[in-house]
Formats: sequence, structure tokens, C-alpha cells
Amino acid sequence: WGSAPATSLLSLAVTSEQIEHLHRRFKQLSQDQLTIRKENFDSIPDLEFNPIRGKIVHAFFDKRNLRQESDGLADEINFEDFLTIMSYFRPIEMNMDEEQLDRFRKEKLKFLFHMYDSDHDGKITLQEYRNVVEELLSGNPHLEKESARSIADGAMMEAASICVGQMGPDQVYEGITFEDFLKMWQGIDIETKMHVRFLNVDTIAHCY
Amino acid sequence: VLAALAALAAGAAEARTISDGQPPGAAAMGTGTSPSPSGTAFEETRLHVFTLDYPHVQIPFEITLWILLASLAKIGFHLYHKLPSIVPESCLLILVGLLLGGIIFGAEEKSPPVMNSDVFFLYLLPPIVLDAGYFMPTRLFFENFGTIFWYAVVGTLWNAIGIGISLYGICQISAFGLTDITLLQNLLFGSLISAVDPVAVLAVFENIHVNEQLYILVFGESLLNDAITVVLYNLFKSFCQMRTIKVIDIFAGIANFFIVGIGGVLIGILLGFVAAFTTRFTHKIRVIEPLFVFLYSYLSYITAEMFHLSGIMAITACAMTMNKYVEENVSQKSYTTIKYFMKMLSSVSETLIFIFMGVSTVGKNHEWNWAFVSFTLLFCLIWRALGVFVLTQIINVFRTIPLTFKDQFIIAYGGLRGAICFSLVFLLPPAVFPRKKLFITAVIVVIFFTVFIQGITIRPLVEFLDVKRSNKKQPAVSEEIYNRFFDHVKTGIEDVCGHWGHNFWRDKFKKFDNKYLRRLLIRENQPKSSIVSLYKKLEIKHAIEMAESGMISKVPSSVSLSDYHEGKIKPLSPTEMENMREILTKNLYQIRHRTMSYNRHSLAADASEKQAKEILIRRRHSLRESLRKTNSLSRERPVLAFCGGFG
Repeated sequence: WGSAPATSLLSLAVTSEQIEHLHRRFKQLSQDQLTIRKENFDSIPDLEFNPIRGKIVHAFFDKRNLRQESDGLADEINFEDFLTIMSYFRPIEMNMDEEQLDRFRKEKLKFLFHMYDSDHDGKITLQEYRNVVEELLSGNPHLEKESARSIADGAMMEAASICVGQMGPDQVYEGITFEDFLKMWQGIDIETKMHVRFLNVDTIAHCY
Repeated sequence: VLAALAALAAGAAEARTISDGQPPGAAAMGTGTSPSPSGTAFEETRLHVFTLDYPHVQIPFEITLWILLASLAKIGFHLYHKLPSIVPESCLLILVGLLLGGIIFGAEEKSPPVMNSDVFFLYLLPPIVLDAGYFMPTRLFFENFGTIFWYAVVGTLWNAIGIGISLYGICQISAFGLTDITLLQNLLFGSLISAVDPVAVLAVFENIHVNEQLYILVFGESLLNDAITVVLYNLFKSFCQMRTIKVIDIFAGIANFFIVGIGGVLIGILLGFVAAFTTRFTHKIRVIEPLFVFLYSYLSYITAEMFHLSGIMAITACAMTMNKYVEENVSQKSYTTIKYFMKMLSSVSETLIFIFMGVSTVGKNHEWNWAFVSFTLLFCLIWRALGVFVLTQIINVFRTIPLTFKDQFIIAYGGLRGAICFSLVFLLPPAVFPRKKLFITAVIVVIFFTVFIQGITIRPLVEFLDVKRSNKKQPAVSEEIYNRFFDHVKTGIEDVCGHWGHNFWRDKFKKFDNKYLRRLLIRENQPKSSIVSLYKKLEIKHAIEMAESGMISKVPSSVSLSDYHEGKIKPLSPTEMENMREILTKNLYQIRHRTMSYNRHSLAADASEKQAKEILIRRRHSLRESLRKTNSLSRERPVLAFCGGFG
């Protein structure tokens, strides 16, 4: 099935069994085609209830996540790309050292960052942030947009204070860069939380 | 009059001594006649102004007193709020029973009344099982069905046979004086003592952070395990009563095992569908809707028992099948009634059983033998731990989410014995089991040990084993957002990559369900969800209130944030931060309908009710706001509609 170059997948540290499981899932989603499009994600019933459904699906097609040099959105992804996205959710391995852990963490946070930063300019602006919060709270139809906006504003305010310190009354905070983003997530141990439990670590990387 | 009173008192005492031979929850209904103290000769008596006729009401009177006592005991120990979290309720109930047994024993110098087979199996057990089956989260159950089945069936067999054989080995040692207990009797004893009743642990689970997997495993295992134990018990009991056992009998036993289980499930499912279908037509007679639920479930139980199939499996299957469809057909009030009544029945049942247990401990039903009792306890612990460990190693190969050591420890240590063991041992026919009292003593010791010692210590032990979390500071608003965002992402990815291929069957079933079953079993013209219907009712009620009372409003205003342009942000005051935090925590509903912890003794507020209430509150607020805006003449500062005031 598919000619995945071994080198690029070696870094994924997923067992062959899991690859097989994901492959089966891929085939189910793509209805036995070689690639998936955005429409294929509609066939997942549980995903409908997720308020940030759009962003999640979008993340699969985001070229930045697919480690491609260009920018923008892909129209369709193949199995290798699918695996690439899934690799962001692998759990930490016992034998990782400091540097690897750090790189690992940065990768995961970058994935999340790309979800916030929808216009791909490397910064989360106020409008983008508002957009995120509105989507997040969209599960409740009776919450006014105003409240969502003010929450987003408050959060940006906090971000500004953490990253830039005390601001003068005229200073404008452009947006959250990736470094600022990292600072905000410092308290939260994303490495242990951001993994899908079934991608369990036992074995060394090997794949067909 | 005095003479008459004395005569009646004597008559009452006589009646009491006769009926003391029967249990108070008396199975035999027809023996309430009191013998006349004066024999058969007709004597003329004067008219009595005041009479005391206890035997006339004895049976219902005593039943009521028992139940009342049990409930008062419950009130008693919930008075101190910390108590239930430290000590499982079962412990406290047993203590009350002990106390009561001591009193009865002290007062009458004879053993207190004990339970009777029919009473237990026909009246006390079904509510408990129904409760467990009805509140079982079906989706999670079926996702983990393989593992649950594995633990319940193979685990129970392992325990039963292991304990039976090792005890037989011990019995062979003549120094202990146990050589008259045969292998079959030991096997029977082993099977009845492996009935695990982790409800006490489940109550403690609420305070420990237990992941869903573990929760459903323990819960599901206990349910299936009860069924398996009863089947094994009956099997071995019939073996014990047969003179010779041929090979064909063993095969018949195995076949019987499967038939009993599957047959029970089929009966349950059938009656579940019939119940769902019946409720389709009950919209004119709402008042008796709950009755159907209980009647059909009970019917499935006793029908299964009639054919000597597993009543427990039947009632569980019936409850699980009926659940979905009935909930959509019945009215909101009936639904609430069903839930509460079910909890009430099962709570009463369990309480009664534990109190009986305490009462029966006191008295002359015992035969103490150090070796047997201590080895029983030892083997129970060893075999359970071994069983869980070995089985987990095997099943982990097949699971995508393996069970960790902590999970295994909880499953093994949480193997508390309870009501079922106790009842089964009491029901052993003494003719076939001359050493019955020994068995009773051993079972009681095991139950006490597990319920008290393990029940109380499991929570500290789990906390000890738990990974230390980093110290939490008050999360900032943005952190809250990030965390929630992140949870949604994770859930989404999990949905995309699917769990273990069960999705295929689940989706197929859902399609079949939508196409055929729902059309058949659910009444037409139903609102999509109970939230909407509840909301509609509340809205109507609110509209009436509004029309009658006029408006009241004092909306906390906040700094206007709506009149700046991109990029500029004004600082927010702490109260506003608080308000925002409140909004976030209130609005970010549970991502998936996470299972509420099962608690036999209370009903968690339904998520949809809470949501509906909140929707109503916000709607009310927004209505107020819009009315205020049209009424106000000038606007100095645009006021932000802020929902922070609702607690």
C-alpha cells in the first residue's frame, strides 16, 4: 500500500500495527481511494458535535503541518500525509533526552499554533483569537457574540502582559508570535497530554 | 379488660414464637393466622374497648420497621458530610446491622432472623441489578465489551476453580479437621466467594480520578460477574446433589452455562423491545408510564428464572435495550420518576441486605475454624491478584489502550465481596452441606475484611500511587481557553482516527437503528432532544411569568470594549476577569458526554437539565437586555451584555 519513503517516516516512531490500524481507518474515510478530501471528514458522526470541527479538518490540509515548504492548503492528502498529522499526537517515549523532549514539545505546540493562526502570517492577531473563542463557544447558541469577543480580548490582554510586560496606553500589541505562544504554554505539560491514547509507545520506529 | 389484655399479650407472644421460625421478610404469605389462645372451645368474651392485635399486622409491620430503620441509618451517617467519602456506605450499614443483631440477640437470647432464598432472589436482588443495568453507559460498555467479558467470565472461572482447588488441598490436611469437605463442596464455595461487588469501590471512585476505561471495566465486570457466579453456583449445587457424575454431565454443564447466559439475554432484549413499543402509546396516560418500565424489567427477570435461565442477564439486557427508546417516549416527569424510583428501590434493597448481614453475624450460626477461614481469606486475595495480573497480560495484547499497573491494582484491590456472596452462602441446603456454618463464618470474615479494610484503604492507596501533579495556580483566562481548545482538538483527532474498529459496527447499528427501530418504537412528532422540549416548557412558563410580573433587572455593566479598533486593548479589572472566567467555565460544556460516576445512592444532575436551565437563564437575560435597550433614552457608554451575574 503506498510507497512511503522509509526515512521520512522513521522519525514518527509508530509501530507497524498502529500504521495498519490507521491505514484501515484511512481507507474507511477515503472510501478506498488513495486520497482524502475535506468532504470525507463529514462521514465521521462524532465530529459533528465538535465546535472547532472546521479548524481540526483544516489542520489536516494545512501545508505547514504537512512539512511541505509551500504555504496554504492542500486539496487532498494521501496516507503519508495522514500519518504525518497523526504523528503530532504520539506520546513521549521513555528514552528521550532533554533536547528531544524540547523539540517534541515545540512540534506539538507548533501544530496548535497553526490552528490559531488561520492567515498563516506567523502571528495570532486579535481578530484571529476572537475567531477561535467564538468557534469554541459556538456550542451554546445563546451566548452573545459580545461576550465571546470580550473574553478573547481579555485573553489577549493577558498574553500581552506576559510577553511584553507593562504596556503604555498607546502601545499596540501586534499579535502573539510563536515564541510568545511558547511562553504561555510553559505551565502546561503538553507532552503528556497531547497524545491520542491509542498511539502507545512500546517499540522503536519501524515501518514497511 | 385487664384479663383480656393479658390474654391477648399471651396470644401475641405465642404467635411470635411460632413465627420466629420464619424470616421477618416472610416468604410464606399465608401463615399469618394467629392461634387462638383459648383453644377450640367457644367461649363468650366481653366486648373489648382496646385491643392489641400484633399478629394481624406482624409481617407488614416488621418489613416496614426494617426498611424504616435502614433509611434512618442512612440519614444518620450522612449527617457528617465527610464520613461517606472516607468510609464506604456498606461498612456503615454492616455496623448498624451488627448493632441491631447484638440488641436482638441480647434481648431474646436466640439468633436473629435471617434471610430466605425466595426473598433474596425474587425481591431484593432484581432492583439492584436493574439499577446497575439501567444506568450503564451503553456505548462505553460495548466498546469495552471484549475486555469486560474476558474479566467477568474467565476471571470468575479462574477465581472459582482456583480457590476451590486450593481450599480442597488445605482440607486434605487432616490436622485441620476439614477432611469431610469434598471437592465439589469446595468448588461450590469457591464459586460463591468469587462474586465481586465493587459498588462500594465505585462510590469511592468518584473522588479518585478514574479514567472512563477503568470505570466501565469495573462496573461491567461486576454485573456480568454476578450472573456468572449465580450460574456456577447453581451448576455446582446440582452436581453436589447428584450421586454420581458422568462425563456427559460435565458437558451438559458447560452447555447449560452458555444457554443460560444467552437465553437470559435474549429474553431481556425481547421484553425490552416490547416495553419500548408499549411506551409509544402511553402519551394519554402519563401517570402509569413508569410502571411499565418496572413491570417489564421485573417480568424479564422472573420469566428467565422460570426457565432457569439467568435472570440477572435478562434484566440487564432489558434495561439496556429499553433505556434509549423509553427515554424518548415518556414525559419528562415520568423519566425523572423512573430514575428516582429505581434508585430508591435499589438503595433500599442493598441496605436491607447489608443490615441482614450485620444481624446474621451475631448469633449462633457460626463454626469457627482457624485454618479454613484464614486460608479462605488468603486465597481470595492471592487468586484475585494473580487472576487480574495474568488476564491483563493476555488481554493487553488485544487492546489498543493497555491497562497500566495502577489500573490493575485498582481492579484487583477493588474486588470487594458483598451481598451476593453472603446470600448465596445462606441459601446452601444444610442437608447437602453439613459444614454450612463453617462456610457462613468464612464468607462473613471475607466480606468484613474486604469491605472494611480494603474499602477504607483503597482511596489513600490510589492517591499514593497517583502521579504527582504540578501545583496548580489559578488558571488565567487564556489558559482556560487553551485547555478547552486543546481538549476539543484531542477529541476531534480521536474521532478521526477512530477507536479499534468498533466504530464500524457501531455506525452500522446506528444506521439500522435510525431506519427501522426508531421508527417502530418511538412516537412520531418528537422534538429532537430532551433539551429542546424541556427548554420549550421552561420558556412557556417564563413567558407567563414575565407577562405577570414585569421586568426586574440589574445587569452588571462592564467596561465597554466594543469601541476600539483592531489592536488596541484596554486593561480589564479583576472583577471582569472573574466574570469572564465564570462564563468560560459555564459555557464550555463537557466535550463528550462523559459518564457520570455511578453511585447507587444518588443521582447526579442530568447534564441536559443543567444546559436547558442555563439556556433559559441566558435567554431571559437577553430578553431583558433587549427590552432595556429599547427603553433607555440615552447611551453614554454602550453597555456590554454580560452574563457574569448568574451563579
